[in-house]
Amino acid sequence: MPKWGMAADLDRCTGCGACVTACHAENNIGTVGASEAARGRAKHWIRVERYWEGDFPDVRLKFRPVMCQQCDHAPCEPVCPTYASHHTEDGLNAQVYNRCIGTRYCANACPYNVRFFDFFNPTWDKPLHLQLNPDVSVREVGVMEKCTFCVQRIKAANIQAKAEERELEDGELKTACAQACPAQALVFGDLDDPESEVSRLSRSPRGTKLLEDLGTRPNVTYLPRQS
Amino acid sequence: MKAIYALYPDGQSAQQGVNRLRQAGIADADITILSGQPIEEHEFGERDKATWMWWIACGGGLIGMAIAFGLAWVSEMSWPINVGGLPTFAWWPNLIIIFELTMLGAIIATVITLIVTARLGRGGGALYDPAVSDGKILVGVENPAEARMDALAQALGAPPGAEVRRI
Amino acid sequence: MSQVPHAAPPPERLTADLLRPVLFTSWRFYVLALVPGIFVVAGLVSWLSQMFFGFGISGIRWPVYWGFYVTNFVFWIGISHAGTLISAILRLVNAGWRRPVTRCAEVITVFALMIGAMFPLIHLGRPWLAFWLIPYPSERLIWPNFRSPLVWDFFAINTYLTGSLLFLFLPMIPDFAVVRDRTTGLRHRIYRVLALGWRGTPKQWHRLETAMQIMAIAIIPVAVSVHTIVSFDFSMAPVPMWQTTIFGPYFVAGAIFSGIAALLIAMAALRRFLHLEDYLLPIHFENLGKLLLVMALLWGYFVFNERLVTYYGNGPAEMAVFWQTQREAYSPLFWTMVLGNFVLPLILMGIRPFRTITGCVIASIGVVIGMWLERYLIIVPSLGHKYLPYSYGSYAPQPVEIVITVATFAAMTLLYVLFAKTVPIISIWELKGGGHGAASVAPAVPELGPSAGHEGRS
Repeated sequence: MPKWGMAADLDRCTGCGACVTACHAENNIGTVGASEAARGRAKHWIRVERYWEGDFPDVRLKFRPVMCQQCDHAPCEPVCPTYASHHTEDGLNAQVYNRCIGTRYCANACPYNVRFFDFFNPTWDKPLHLQLNPDVSVREVGVMEKCTFCVQRIKAANIQAKAEERELEDGELKTACAQACPAQALVFGDLDDPESEVSRLSRSPRGTKLLEDLGTRPNVTYLPRQS
Repeated sequence: MKAIYALYPDGQSAQQGVNRLRQAGIADADITILSGQPIEEHEFGERDKATWMWWIACGGGLIGMAIAFGLAWVSEMSWPINVGGLPTFAWWPNLIIIFELTMLGAIIATVITLIVTARLGRGGGALYDPAVSDGKILVGVENPAEARMDALAQALGAPPGAEVRRI
Repeated sequence: MSQVPHAAPPPERLTADLLRPVLFTSWRFYVLALVPGIFVVAGLVSWLSQMFFGFGISGIRWPVYWGFYVTNFVFWIGISHAGTLISAILRLVNAGWRRPVTRCAEVITVFALMIGAMFPLIHLGRPWLAFWLIPYPSERLIWPNFRSPLVWDFFAINTYLTGSLLFLFLPMIPDFAVVRDRTTGLRHRIYRVLALGWRGTPKQWHRLETAMQIMAIAIIPVAVSVHTIVSFDFSMAPVPMWQTTIFGPYFVAGAIFSGIAALLIAMAALRRFLHLEDYLLPIHFENLGKLLLVMALLWGYFVFNERLVTYYGNGPAEMAVFWQTQREAYSPLFWTMVLGNFVLPLILMGIRPFRTITGCVIASIGVVIGMWLERYLIIVPSLGHKYLPYSYGSYAPQPVEIVITVATFAAMTLLYVLFAKTVPIISIWELKGGGHGAASVAPAVPELGPSAGHEGRS
């Protein structure tokens, strides 16, 4: 069974936000509009966090793309009353929209704040409604949603490989954010395969995990800037 | 239903009435006593005190415990879902469910026992007088033998403040 | 406490006084029912509009996903601990002065629980699917997660609600019999059904008292577990200043605290509106006021504990939340809470000349406000300042949340008024029965004339 994980090389990340846009396009995430975004309702399954360090003129800018860490000991999972948030065998934290009754406890429990609530039914200005991905459901008001490591792509690749009676190769399957990143800062793959790129990066001496001391065991490795 | 009874203003008179009925040969089980509040300090208020209710409540609790444990065990083991790396049957959280259903079982068993043993909810027909709500204590006999009526009326009417009635 | 003159007025006047609100209706009842009723309807309309227009009309936002609704939930479940303390605990320790007060307290419990239990529905994104929390066999494999604190809430609150309803209803049966005997027509038929054929044989009295004894013993651990489980809704999540072991006892103590305050307010209102001056005596308010003082000290102890340990722990995330409440954005609310929960009760209940009925009511109103703020300050600052500073956020309630909050207080008032109209708010048989017990002192009221007969007081 593969164990899906990601690595983010912050040396390469330019903060361009292509990953955010690609994720919106791939996963049918609605844009909530300016007023709702100002009220804190924006749903960015992956977001680029931007931190300033120091005072002018010695200012430094740091970017960190944060998505669902698909934690092994995810604190969002035990608290969901309907098992809408649970762990799959291939290491993903699944979000089952049909089971979700919208208690939002999972979002409170998530230390990374990567879970989002659908405050209204989504709308798309024409002609963007033609761009919706048919492989991904459109979530109605009242359910939680979050990064799924593009589970629709994982399923499709698995089906394809099974049909062709072969194993999946490393690099064949990419999440939308990893695919879109111009600097190849985001790497997606099977952590159980010691030869894969993501395994190699996660073993790097530069590698850290976000909020590791909380005991969530996240599966995203961050490689901090070296300069 | 025929009956003969007396209304007494306080427990002392009522106790005398009960004693006289016993002297007249009426068995305790045939003497009806009704009051508007529990009368603890007189002997006639002590009857029928023994009860199995405590044991039944404990039994109800055990049943509740078994149901909760069974529910949690069967459902969690039959469809094991991994949440947060917790064990499939995690003791600590399941103990909470088991505790709640244990207490619910005890409570429901108590109430059912009360309804059954106090004969609540059964139809009318038993001896009753609304004066009981005013604080009077009713002592009487249901369906007495016709020949004994006068003797009983005399026995009931003897204590102070008695008001004898027949229906 | 031992000098309490428990002697209630003689039985005829007692029954007449306590039945008067049930048997006779004045225009004041209609006003007291209509005004809260309007607010309750406004609250229902707000909730329906939230379901219709979308949850977004509330003030909830990323990352503060719980706000007014969960505050109200915890607040009302807390208020529901009034009855358990006064009714069950005082019954078990044979405190005779509890007798006029038990039903007032138990009613608060039941109605506060019903109101509190609405909020897990109101705060859901998809409340029409709330029945999925019930463990029923389903072909879709819908099943609740027993490892989730919200499912524990479901079981605990339902158990407590069932237990409290029964605990309230069982001692009402003899009083329903009294009303049955005093009414005619439709009312007589309704109360005859409710009285379940109660006659008052010694067997029935014994069974009732045993049942109440068992229920009192059973309901206390359930009440403790309920608010502990409500506290688990917070302490099971890794949120700064939530994941602390003190929340269980802290919440239970706070619940009992707010429950006593609510009871004092209810008793004062009943005394005034139903003319129960001979039954709800100043000594009752004094005793409860002393309990309020003890709980205020206990509350202060828990808050001091929680904050000192956090301060010494010095975790960066925890300290960010700590200073938010103590010095920064939430400090006005925090210090208002300290004033209402600690300073005011200590002064008013601690200094004897202030421990009057008015003093009790003022202190209690302060406690109710303070405890509501305490729930709010536990939830919102922590959620607004979790571990990643990029995702800090603040929360502001929207009209729908404010209207629903006000509607719950109106609902409590309305339900209480309706109850006092249909059931004697002071338990007639318990008060009469208390006059015979060992806890009573020589009667303060002179006996009536010869027609009433000689009262057998021991």
